[in-house]
Amino acid sequence: MPVDGTDDKAVRTANGDSNGSGKKTDQHEADSSRFANSRRSMLKAVGASGTAGLLSGCLWMGSGSASTINILTWEEYGDVTDGIADDLDIDIQVTSSTSGADMFSTWNAGEYEQYDIAVPDNNYVQRFADADLIEPVNRDIVTNYENIYDNFSNLSRNQFGTSENNVWGTPMRFGWNGYSYDSRTIPDHEASWSVLFEDSFDGVDLDGEIVMYDGHYKAMSATALYLGYEDAFEGEEVTLSSEQMEEVKQTLIEQKPRLQGYIAEDPTYIQGFNQGNFLIGHSGRNEIVEMWSDGADWPVMTAPREGALAWFEVAVVSSASDSKETAWEVVNEFISPEYGASLAQAGFSPSVNPDTQEELSDEENELFGSVDPEMIDSFIPFKSVSNEDAWLEAWEEIKAA
Amino acid sequence: MNTLSRIQSRLLRTVRSRWRQLGIAIGPSLIYLLLLLLAPVTFIITVSFLQVNDSYQIVLEPTLENYNSLFSSEGPFWESTFFSVVMESLTIAVLTTVITLVLAFPLAYHLSKAEGAVFQLMLVMVLLPFFTVYLVRVYSWLLMFGQNGVINTTLMAFGLTSGPIELFNYGVPAIIVGLIHAFFPYMLLSVYASLDGFNFSLIDAARDLGAGRIETFRDIVVPITLPGVISGCLFVFVPSFGAFITPVFLGQGKVLMIGQLIESRISSLYAIDTASAIAMFIILAIVIAFGLAFRYIDVENLGGV
Repeated sequence: MPVDGTDDKAVRTANGDSNGSGKKTDQHEADSSRFANSRRSMLKAVGASGTAGLLSGCLWMGSGSASTINILTWEEYGDVTDGIADDLDIDIQVTSSTSGADMFSTWNAGEYEQYDIAVPDNNYVQRFADADLIEPVNRDIVTNYENIYDNFSNLSRNQFGTSENNVWGTPMRFGWNGYSYDSRTIPDHEASWSVLFEDSFDGVDLDGEIVMYDGHYKAMSATALYLGYEDAFEGEEVTLSSEQMEEVKQTLIEQKPRLQGYIAEDPTYIQGFNQGNFLIGHSGRNEIVEMWSDGADWPVMTAPREGALAWFEVAVVSSASDSKETAWEVVNEFISPEYGASLAQAGFSPSVNPDTQEELSDEENELFGSVDPEMIDSFIPFKSVSNEDAWLEAWEEIKAA
Repeated sequence: MNTLSRIQSRLLRTVRSRWRQLGIAIGPSLIYLLLLLLAPVTFIITVSFLQVNDSYQIVLEPTLENYNSLFSSEGPFWESTFFSVVMESLTIAVLTTVITLVLAFPLAYHLSKAEGAVFQLMLVMVLLPFFTVYLVRVYSWLLMFGQNGVINTTLMAFGLTSGPIELFNYGVPAIIVGLIHAFFPYMLLSVYASLDGFNFSLIDAARDLGAGRIETFRDIVVPITLPGVISGCLFVFVPSFGAFITPVFLGQGKVLMIGQLIESRISSLYAIDTASAIAMFIILAIVIAFGLAFRYIDVENLGGV
């Protein structure tokens, strides 16, 4: 008997030795061979299909395959990509983000390999470049670049120009921050940031009726302008001295008890404004244009006399993209007259290409399509900050107060 | 032997080894723990002792600078911004836990005594909010609070107040209400689990023997429910301490908790070094909470059972 107690004959039979002679029969050998062949065929088929599936998955997941462009951008861009995808015969996947800071931290965490395009605010573009995440603009493909407002091409060169007389990104849309107020309660007045920092205005009690932007750059910049520190915005970076920073911080801490809150997201601002939670707020123009488009005629948007802060979005292409040329084609379409107009309609913010006005109605141009270029010159553009650590620490101290 | 038998016998031979059996049983869980728990925590701990340079690269030189910077201030460390944020977060988490316990305990007590349709109805009412995405529930509280939210508007409409009440404005009270709403089922079910099967005749017996209500509660009910209470407190305190969505919406930016501080550091500066150091304090709070809990209950009692 075998040591393990099994039936030796049974084992031989199981191995094809049906008559126990120690030799497999011809029939069994044929059966075994057919089974082995069919099993090997099955394994080959499974292996082949699995490999095919893996490869197709890798191609799909890969950044910028020949047919798919992945974009990290503001929500409304998703409204205009279908037409561009059809025209270029590609697929476009849009992931929404709510801030340039978020886009940068996402890409810098390694996801620049998953995306082809990002559209941060202008003051973040140089940060992308410093982290080697992006490529200079391919001017041979982005031909619409030549048609944008001179203001923005000049600003682009100043803020994120390359050493080869090129730029790191392509401006898309622009807007500006000021403050908006409920004209049913607050009378018309000469716009000034000081209104946000006063207990009352023209007999209207503003205690608990004011909202500031929930972001260290915008809120502290507005406060700095209120305090008369416009000189700090004249260089390539915003530079507040430590004394000025302390003054800004204390002003915001003193203001805080009178605030309704701090708001960053457009929908939250619009909902709160409509609900009557506040009478006056630090906001961008596009939120108010959206309210106008929905039929509200009482919100008034201002550009304060001390200076309104202007932003413009900039499309950048990933240095890790496998489809850089296609990505630049998509960018070019975003500032084309047709799709630039669609983008303006979606986000209530004007395109940097004035030719888009021909694609918009008179009403749309009045609301958001056309802007006097002289007005653009009067704005203070967003800029990077020289000591942002100190800004953020001051902001945290204000929020914790 | 046909194919199926052959496959079966081969499988049996494969899993006959004790080590292979162990691997199959705990392998997936171990991989999950290693990849999704231990690896991220190890990364956080490591990065908290390193720094990120101007090129946003991690510099492999150990330092305590991240921790020093958190407590730096012109005065003593308890005047630093970070200390005040930690205290604010702890206060909100403790208040949320206590209030949730006070609200959940009586309901759990009655739930354990209820039977049939009453029990099912009560249970469904408690668990129904769980079937809604949490963000939707937070938005509903966003409409309720505020100077002109539903609560203040209703009170003014009925003439109960002449103007909006600050208590129902956005801020700490609104955050606590939102957190209680979010984590109430955890506390309720933990306490209920410890009461399930409890012999309520013991209470009658104690009362018959002359024990007062407080004595009965202290000597009979509390020891029985202690595992559930402690478990429930853990399940409420830990997520409340590191809450993010609720303070963002219901604090309207005027309240800064530790979760928001971490997000701010990463999204604004990509300062994963200081953000990791801040996160260590959340991990420390969790470890301390569990350490205190296990002084009174065993791991097997976690969950209230």
